[in-house]
Amino acid sequence: MTASVALEELYQCRSKRAQALHDAGQKVIGYFCCYVPDEIIAAFDMLPYRIQGSQNEPIDEADVHMETMACPFARSCFNLALKGKYDFLDGVVIPHTCDTLEHLYIIWQETRPLSLTHFVNVPHMLGPSSATFYRQELNTFIVALETWSGQKMDTNKLREAVKVYNSHRAALRDLYKLRKSDPPLVSGAEVTKAVVAGMGIPAMEHIELIRTFIAEVKARLQTKKDQRPRIFLWGNELDDAAFIRLVEESGAQVVMDDLCTGTRFFWEDVPETEDPLDGIVTRYLNTHCPRTNLPQAATREADLENRFGHIGRFVREWRVNGVIFYIVRYCDTCELEGPDLREYLQGMKLPVLMIEDDYSTSTIGQLRTRVQAFLEMIA
Amino acid sequence: MENMEKIKTTAVKGTKAAQKVRGFVKNIYRNAQEAKAQGKKVSYVMVSSHYDEILRAMDIVPLPTENFAGLCAAKREMDRFLLKAEEDGYSQVLCSYARIGLGFDSLRKELGGIPENSPDGGMPMPDMMVGSSNVCDPRFKWFQATGRFLDAPHHSIDVVKPPVHADLKAVQKYYVRYQQEQFEELIAFLEIQTGKKLDKERLWETLRLGDEACRLWHETDRLRVAVPSPMPSQDRFSIMVPAYYYTGTQEAVDFYRELYEEVKYRVDNKIGTAGEQRYRVLYGGGLPPWHTLWIFNYFESFGAAFVMENVYRVHDPVEVPSHVKDPVEYLAWRTFLRLTSSHEKAKANTGNIEVERLLDIIRDYQIDGVVFHACRSCRATTLGQIHTKNRLSQYTDMPMTQLVSDMVDLRDYSEAQWKAQIGAFIEALAGREKTA
Ligand code: SF4
Ligand code: SF4
Repeated sequence: MTASVALEELYQCRSKRAQALHDAGQKVIGYFCCYVPDEIIAAFDMLPYRIQGSQNEPIDEADVHMETMACPFARSCFNLALKGKYDFLDGVVIPHTCDTLEHLYIIWQETRPLSLTHFVNVPHMLGPSSATFYRQELNTFIVALETWSGQKMDTNKLREAVKVYNSHRAALRDLYKLRKSDPPLVSGAEVTKAVVAGMGIPAMEHIELIRTFIAEVKARLQTKKDQRPRIFLWGNELDDAAFIRLVEESGAQVVMDDLCTGTRFFWEDVPETEDPLDGIVTRYLNTHCPRTNLPQAATREADLENRFGHIGRFVREWRVNGVIFYIVRYCDTCELEGPDLREYLQGMKLPVLMIEDDYSTSTIGQLRTRVQAFLEMIA
Repeated sequence: MENMEKIKTTAVKGTKAAQKVRGFVKNIYRNAQEAKAQGKKVSYVMVSSHYDEILRAMDIVPLPTENFAGLCAAKREMDRFLLKAEEDGYSQVLCSYARIGLGFDSLRKELGGIPENSPDGGMPMPDMMVGSSNVCDPRFKWFQATGRFLDAPHHSIDVVKPPVHADLKAVQKYYVRYQQEQFEELIAFLEIQTGKKLDKERLWETLRLGDEACRLWHETDRLRVAVPSPMPSQDRFSIMVPAYYYTGTQEAVDFYRELYEEVKYRVDNKIGTAGEQRYRVLYGGGLPPWHTLWIFNYFESFGAAFVMENVYRVHDPVEVPSHVKDPVEYLAWRTFLRLTSSHEKAKANTGNIEVERLLDIIRDYQIDGVVFHACRSCRATTLGQIHTKNRLSQYTDMPMTQLVSDMVDLRDYSEAQWKAQIGAFIEALAGREKTA
């Protein structure tokens, strides 16, 4: 089986590997968002599993427990849990990313109780005192894992996990770099699938698949330069390739992103510090997410640069022609961030299309006309 | 209930104290406008951020943008601001308070001054903006966003609360410490903005006043267990103003003393609010429907009186350890203790803070039914209502209903639907009364 086929299978059947490992006795810990360090879970020889929803399945059971004005991504995840699709999880960790997850913690805890349901508070402010607090919260999390598993945290294993996950990140960065060229060597839809496929399998297995996949891509017959506009995607949770496929079928190339399920999740390495927790704290706390406020810079211009400079660099290096925002509705911090980012990008002379969606493939068709009109405008 | 009907009572409308609140609201904006004219510092604030007394102690005039949004809705003056924000790219599902604030700031920028006919004269340009992560996400993100429309420095602080299952003894130290550091970072920011140092004695003074107002309000709430109910829920939506918007002032203390005395007098003399109080209803949560406050009269016309509310809560009195000698440290402790005051009790019983609180109210206030108000654009106060309702029904069979609209956006409101739902709710109350 080629890596490409293996990744496609994992993408289609995301829990298969985790289920097998759970059946074989390994503990699987589900978590949300970008603020629960994989490294800590892995250091306990447990499998970190990034919880995802399903854009294909209607949310039918969750509404009995949760208001429909909650983030539909979170609702979808919970819906799957209610249907027993997350029964292979031994524990679940919910970080305080946003209002929705804060409430979901209680609802999940009381509706689908597991022997480990843990909440990690994450500072919304990046001030001088935030790192110490977050570190203490991670310590509390470690103690919870220790108590639950009866195992002590081994610092050497944590150090080792940092190395492993950094190589994982390096592999994913290499994958992303395949789209720097014109035309990109691989499509945006393929890349998203490959990344999502690895969110619930051991890092080493995913690294190998990604490395092989990169080799396979490089061996493909290369097409000529084309005129298709190069698109950057910004938003929150997009763990289904359908929307990206729609953009690409409409005549564009999705070449780079800043999404919870994309670069935001893996781009930056964890610095390899003497005490591994130092590096972990720095790396995770500084995740570029709209739910975290950076201290304000002296001028508006400097402030936007401070907040969005990483996107500016991506856009330049990947020679982007236009940006599409894919915002899962009801995510207040993303909704408030969008117009500021649009201002920053327009300052770079980049056209922006803002899309708000219900995290559902059934509504994606309705977006086609808007995407096409946008692409025509760029062309 | 039978007995209750037989009690002969004198009936009055709401409290006199509540009628005075209109003046407090007007003064928020007048004070800010005058302060600007006198060169004093004015700050956009998110009230109930636990930092409120610090601003008072530093003579910074607070301008609560959320209140302004509610005011616009009460006066049905919100549409142009909502639409402006949407035109500027803000989603129709974003917190409507934030949309009104952003729309107002955007219009003020565009027009070069306060939009004409703004309620209570509108909000002048602030010298700074101070947000917080207490209660919800928009409360720290909104001021960052509104930087598009005005040039004022912004600083927000974290207000952290451990989850109910936390081992409070284990986490207390670092929660309090972070909270204190957050306040200290804020003070450093405010000192730069005002050009003067915080006077710690003044802070002690405002804290003392803040605590006293809180104590008086809390005691007033306890008086409301009385039958007949001496104060309707509608009043809370007014009487919370001094505590929330005048935190740490003598005015607020005087107000709650008066309120307390008035309510006490009514209780002592069995004076209830107007109308037949056939059913005692709890406002179970959610921001009030500012656009449609008359709906409470509609309930009353069926004999359903709202006697207590689970919104704009007053904190339980807490005891800060006596070794604490610094007012900022005191504030950090007070914040932690207030935010965790129900944790241990909830942990020992239902496991859920919200459910625990509501069950206490239901018992103490002899509640017959619960009404929740879901606001489509406020996740913080809405999300979890269904779950709470489900959990409550494990302990009680009383009728409960959830009305859905928004705190300000009328587009989410349907009168016909509400009336139908209220009808069904009243029927259920009546049915239960019979079987009892
Ligand atoms: S998409 Fe937004 S609202 Fe949804 S879980 Fe993530 S941060 Fe929260
Ligand atoms: S989301 Fe709710 S609590 Fe937060 S600012 Fe808006 S109205 Fe207030």
